[in-house]
Amino acid sequence: MYVRRLRNFDFILFLASLALVAYGVVLIYSGSLPSYESAAASLSHPVGRQIAFAVVGVVIMLLLTRMDYHLLGYGAPVLYMAAMAALVLVLVVSSAVYGSRRWIEIAGTPVQPSEISKLVLIIVMARYLTDRQEQIGQAKTFLASLGIALVPIILVFAEPDLGSAVIFVAIWLAMVIIAGARSKHILGLFASFAVAMPFVLIGLINDYQRERIATFLDPGKDPLGAGFNTLQAEIGIGSGGLFGKGLTHGTQTQLDYLRTQTTDYIFSVLGEELGFVGAVVLFALFVLLLWRGLQTATSCPDPFGRLLATGIVTFILFQVFINVGVNIRLLPVTGIPLPFISQGGSSLITLFIALGILQSIRVHKPARW
Amino acid sequence: MRLFQQQQRRWRSEKREETSETETLKGKFFYLRLLMLTLFAVLTLQLVRLQVFEGEAYQERAENNRLRVVPVMPSRGLIFDSKGVPLVENVPLFSVGIIPADLPREKEAQVLPQLEALTGVPAAEIAKNVEERRGSNDPFTPVIVKSGLEPEKAFALREMEQWLPGVEVIVEPVRRYGGQPLFSHILGYMGRLDTKNYEELKSKGYQMNDQMGKAGVEAQYEVVLRGVPGRREVEVNAAGREIQTLNSKPAQPGNSLVLTLDTDLQQKTAEFLQQAMGDSLNAAAMVMDVRTGKMLAMVSLPNFDDNVFTNISEEQWKALLDDPSKPLVDHCISEIYPPGSTFKQVTASGALQEGVANAGTTITSYGSITVKNEYDPNIVYVFKDWSALGTLNFYGGVAQSSDVYFYYLGGGYYEDGVQLFRGLGATKLAEYSRRFGLGAPTGIDLPGEAAGMIPDPEWKEREIGEPWTIGDTYNFSIGQGYVATTPLQMLLVTSAVANGGNVMAPRVVEAIIDANGQIVTQFKERVARQLGVSDDNLALLREGMSQAVSWGTAKNAAVSGVNVAGKTGTAEFGPDLGGGTYESHAWFTGFAPAEDPEVAVVVFLQKGNGAKNAAPVGGRILDYYFNR
Repeated sequence: MYVRRLRNFDFILFLASLALVAYGVVLIYSGSLPSYESAAASLSHPVGRQIAFAVVGVVIMLLLTRMDYHLLGYGAPVLYMAAMAALVLVLVVSSAVYGSRRWIEIAGTPVQPSEISKLVLIIVMARYLTDRQEQIGQAKTFLASLGIALVPIILVFAEPDLGSAVIFVAIWLAMVIIAGARSKHILGLFASFAVAMPFVLIGLINDYQRERIATFLDPGKDPLGAGFNTLQAEIGIGSGGLFGKGLTHGTQTQLDYLRTQTTDYIFSVLGEELGFVGAVVLFALFVLLLWRGLQTATSCPDPFGRLLATGIVTFILFQVFINVGVNIRLLPVTGIPLPFISQGGSSLITLFIALGILQSIRVHKPARW
Repeated sequence: MRLFQQQQRRWRSEKREETSETETLKGKFFYLRLLMLTLFAVLTLQLVRLQVFEGEAYQERAENNRLRVVPVMPSRGLIFDSKGVPLVENVPLFSVGIIPADLPREKEAQVLPQLEALTGVPAAEIAKNVEERRGSNDPFTPVIVKSGLEPEKAFALREMEQWLPGVEVIVEPVRRYGGQPLFSHILGYMGRLDTKNYEELKSKGYQMNDQMGKAGVEAQYEVVLRGVPGRREVEVNAAGREIQTLNSKPAQPGNSLVLTLDTDLQQKTAEFLQQAMGDSLNAAAMVMDVRTGKMLAMVSLPNFDDNVFTNISEEQWKALLDDPSKPLVDHCISEIYPPGSTFKQVTASGALQEGVANAGTTITSYGSITVKNEYDPNIVYVFKDWSALGTLNFYGGVAQSSDVYFYYLGGGYYEDGVQLFRGLGATKLAEYSRRFGLGAPTGIDLPGEAAGMIPDPEWKEREIGEPWTIGDTYNFSIGQGYVATTPLQMLLVTSAVANGGNVMAPRVVEAIIDANGQIVTQFKERVARQLGVSDDNLALLREGMSQAVSWGTAKNAAVSGVNVAGKTGTAEFGPDLGGGTYESHAWFTGFAPAEDPEVAVVVFLQKGNGAKNAAPVGGRILDYYFNR
């Protein structure tokens, strides 16, 4: 039994994730040089912290690999309640950083509940859609699934965290499509949303978001103010050229022109110092990882596992796309970490939990019938 | 366990449809894969655009970000007196400025109130100036918030710079002038470039906040004193802090000036002049070496403290400008006055050279002469002498400063249209005036020199629209009427008489030396023009002036142990005070030793009598010079 499990363990997926983490650690090291002059060995240094989180993440992943993922289904309602409560808590107690409230302190460590709640939504949706796979064609069930997703969407939107809200939508959409939702329902929903869009823009988006969108459209308007980040990231990446300026030799990175360069803007460090080639290597690693994830989804005969894997792949894919898109000025500024690369424990541990679930799906998939 | 039961039930009951459902799923996953690849392709395409196609342009922008060229200011040259005593030093001035490009708008609310607390400059005012400069094309040049910060505050701010983005403590050298205003007009002062200066000078390496000489030798020798700025190419981080110097070209320090002026003589000259001022608004006195044109003392009163200009307020500036005694004006060179009887040196020289007079020419002064109007003989003009001096030869005429004697020499004498004495005439008088350098700047190496005024018939016709009259010639002959000179010009007249006919180019700078004390330029004496009056004739005049001191009007200028020759002047000006009396300027010009002239002196008092007020000052100065 154990040997069979081991045989199904996806080493390629695992190695791809480790390669990404290592890549990230190197970039964090370079990106943190301007602010941390001391050796990277200590645990207070971002590099040390990131490695520590990765180790914890890998352990959690291995534990989850051993656990039968079906057990997650039972915990879904509780997880959902807890995650939503955490998101509410963020809105109530946390203080604003860069105009939005995303973190709560747990034992002195800032935790970002929106990260783990994405995973919780995936589990809850998988459970709900598996339970109602015959009724999903009905509008009532379709709308109910939307209702489940809307709660976290609205809560993160209020933080405000537009990027996470988009990712929740993407996860929900991908999962209901795979679960067999009817195309007319989906198209109908899109049509009504398109009609409502202008009102949403006027009514719900606050000044801070509107300014970001305006800045996205024309960062040159205020090069020393709000457009600074966007512009400097763009300059950094563009100036990297084909091969980059060399690790730790990026002038934009090392002279502090980039802000949040070990987190949301870490891709700029990569773009500047390792160039187009470095970016392509990164993309290749992501494609490999996501491809393996989709492999897990397609090869899983069990709809619960299939939906889980689909959600996880969608989650990581959109996270990568939005983060890089913001860095290279394809999308308006929104704070989404680059999976496995950005400095940050919440994101990294969430991702390893996700990988643990993927591994569990492979290892515990029901025998061919 | 409901989940499992449900699943198992489903597999059993719907096994039939499995195949088609699997096909649909495959299709959906195909699209999911396609979506994934598409998204990465979009990212890759944008990267190709940014990094491959526009990479070079972005590289340039990144370089512009990190590289700044910082000027390295040279240290300004010093100024020494003729004995090597420094008259000015460079001291640090602390200012606090803001580099607008380095102060993010959202940080203003945090930074500006702290600056207000430290400097007392209202945050709103700072914000306004910063915002203004942000809009300009030079957001990297600091906006000066406050100049002249106390050193303790400057050091405190330096410590805080790190937390105050864009804020910079600027240390710049400023001039401190010797503590007393003795040389104020000569040295001048420094001031910041105004917008107009900056536009003109930026190509010469001046910065927007630079200072430049605005008066005196500071202005005249700006190019020498300033030196050549160097430049440093530095790498700066996003907060504008320098990280490293990549390239540098050192500044070339400015050269120093050695003045011809002697501090002790300057001191005494100022002291004697001050004591004689009475109710004069202003006064001037100078001593020059007649052989070389070197100015040994050059005093204009009242003077001012050059140091106030490093940080002058509107009110201080306005007060200096509005002061009726005009302290900022150098009365030695920048204002013109009727020279009065001192001008008789010119009339005498011309008359002797043109054969109008010789040592034996005798003329009798009955106290005045009269001229009848050309068209209406009933109108008679009276030209007074200062006294009925009787019959005088040339020496007597000069020594007694007889106006009638010089009316004859200048204008001749006529009775009923018959010429009884041939005079020099207005045109010749004007010509000799110009030979002495009157009516044109002397070319002294100081800014702001006035040209003075030498009239002639043509000029009067043109400018006033009236014909020249014999009366005009009479006035001209005794240095009244339209003629006007600076005190320096009269000093040069006297020195030319003294040295045998050379009008020297006067100088206040003796030499230019470099930072190591090596002479770069040594100025040589230069004869600006020659009189074309024979030394024999000038000797007659010198004798007359010598007699003026021994028994004539200039007795008060006599000095024990040295023979002084001199000429007084009491030049009337302003409106008639009633009964033909006027306010008068007091003049004295002289030289010594009379037999072998070494120095010439001029004394001018805005109000007073030449013999009574000016001559004694001349005497005291010469006494100090020869007998100190």
